[in-house]
Amino acid sequence: MARQEEIYTRRRLRSSYLTSVISITLVLFMLGLLGFVLIYARSLTDHLRENIGFTIYLKKNAREASILKFQKSLDASDFVRTTTYISADEAASQIKKELGEDFIGFVGYNPLYPSIEARLKSEYTQLDSIQNIEKLILADELVSEIDYQRDLIGEINSNMHRISIILLGFAVLLLFVSIGLINNTIRLSVYSKRFIIRSMMLIGATQGFIRKPFIFKGMLHGILSAFIASAMLELLIYFASKEIPELDALHNSTYLTILFGVVLFLGIIITGLANYMAVRKYLKMKIDNLYL
Amino acid sequence: MTEIIHLDNASIYQKENLVLNRISLTVNEGEFLYLIGKTGSGKSSLLKTLYAELPLKDGIGVVAGYDLVKIRNREIPYLRRKLGIVFQDFQLLSDRSISENLMFVMKATGWKEKQKMIDRTEELLKLIGIPTKGYKMPHQLSGGEQQRVGVARALINHPPIILADEPTGNLDPESSEGILSLLHEISKTGVGVVMATHNYGLIQKFPGRIVRIDAGQLSEETPVFMNEA
Repeated sequence: MARQEEIYTRRRLRSSYLTSVISITLVLFMLGLLGFVLIYARSLTDHLRENIGFTIYLKKNAREASILKFQKSLDASDFVRTTTYISADEAASQIKKELGEDFIGFVGYNPLYPSIEARLKSEYTQLDSIQNIEKLILADELVSEIDYQRDLIGEINSNMHRISIILLGFAVLLLFVSIGLINNTIRLSVYSKRFIIRSMMLIGATQGFIRKPFIFKGMLHGILSAFIASAMLELLIYFASKEIPELDALHNSTYLTILFGVVLFLGIIITGLANYMAVRKYLKMKIDNLYL
Repeated sequence: MTEIIHLDNASIYQKENLVLNRISLTVNEGEFLYLIGKTGSGKSSLLKTLYAELPLKDGIGVVAGYDLVKIRNREIPYLRRKLGIVFQDFQLLSDRSISENLMFVMKATGWKEKQKMIDRTEELLKLIGIPTKGYKMPHQLSGGEQQRVGVARALINHPPIILADEPTGNLDPESSEGILSLLHEISKTGVGVVMATHNYGLIQKFPGRIVRIDAGQLSEETPVFMNEA
């Protein structure tokens, strides 16, 4: 009989811990999901920015050796990600292929210029940076002109800025909602133990001694929840990549590792702090107020 | 005789309301004192002040060497370790066994050696007459037995005084008598007992010093025994 009662009490405790872990897991998962969206949005922005066309037209009389030297210097610069040299002949044959007719025979000569197709690093794709790069490159005597879609860059940047602000605002809001929800779950759990806290105080336990197991157990729940939430996110990423293979191009392992770290950190900090605050409330409360 | 409780011109408040006005009281080691009075007269408020649940704002108050007026929040747990407190509703930790309840208090009050904790638990369970029930959960014991555990818990740190707030209030007459008898046995070993009660029948059976609380004042009463009346 006694054993049965003990099993029942343990089961009840376990079920209360389970409820608390599930609630915290779901909240952390939502936070992680938003982080995941933020990371992929950022990767998408970088991807778009790094594929903006930036064509450097070279002078017709430029010698190949000088062009290759110039290309090397571009590759070595901080702002260029990749370059592709397209000679005037290559450009002509590409156009020939696209048009399906020999336009050189019609015009009588090859009017195209040799060019270097550059892709810039995403951090140098702001309009003012591009204008500086343009000035720098134009200063080289080999360069005839530079062509890129100024309007498109401006549009991408302003849209991404807008989206980032909305997502960040949403993230901050969700963070507050998460703190509120976790705090509520923990407060309810501590509320059910308020008389135990009171008993501990009356037998001469110090506040630190009373607080320690609550904070420790809370943080343990936070760690457990963070691991479950991270595993759920990992699964979601796996299935999303399977369904949308293009997502692989946006996959950034470093950012995802940081995201899991943040989820773990938030899990520990929020649960630890919420437990600290909830217990503190009952440590300061007068005995008569416990019954209110 | 060593003085354990000393109140002089002490005024006791519940929030802003004056409950006891400029009272004086002294309790010595080994003394058994009953606090009697109507419900709401201030018995519990007096006891709460003695274990620093209510602050003492006016007058002088010294309990087990601690000045109740100057006591800091972080000193309160150490004052309470020098007192044994017994409650009407037992206040045992419902999520652990009787032995674990006692051992928990030991851990909470700085005991480190496990064997000493086990020995003290056994000693106390024997003293309160339930040597074989340490494995049981509180709700598996009768009210009387739970209150005995409450008394055992109060005795863990060999306090010089026990404060009992209506310890028989939730018990049947037979169990109440058992608790009173236990407290009297303890008092004979030199431990002072201050007990708030309504149970005048028990006072007659187990005589002690009686202090009545009425209209915010304390007054000593001479016990009247049934066979004298």
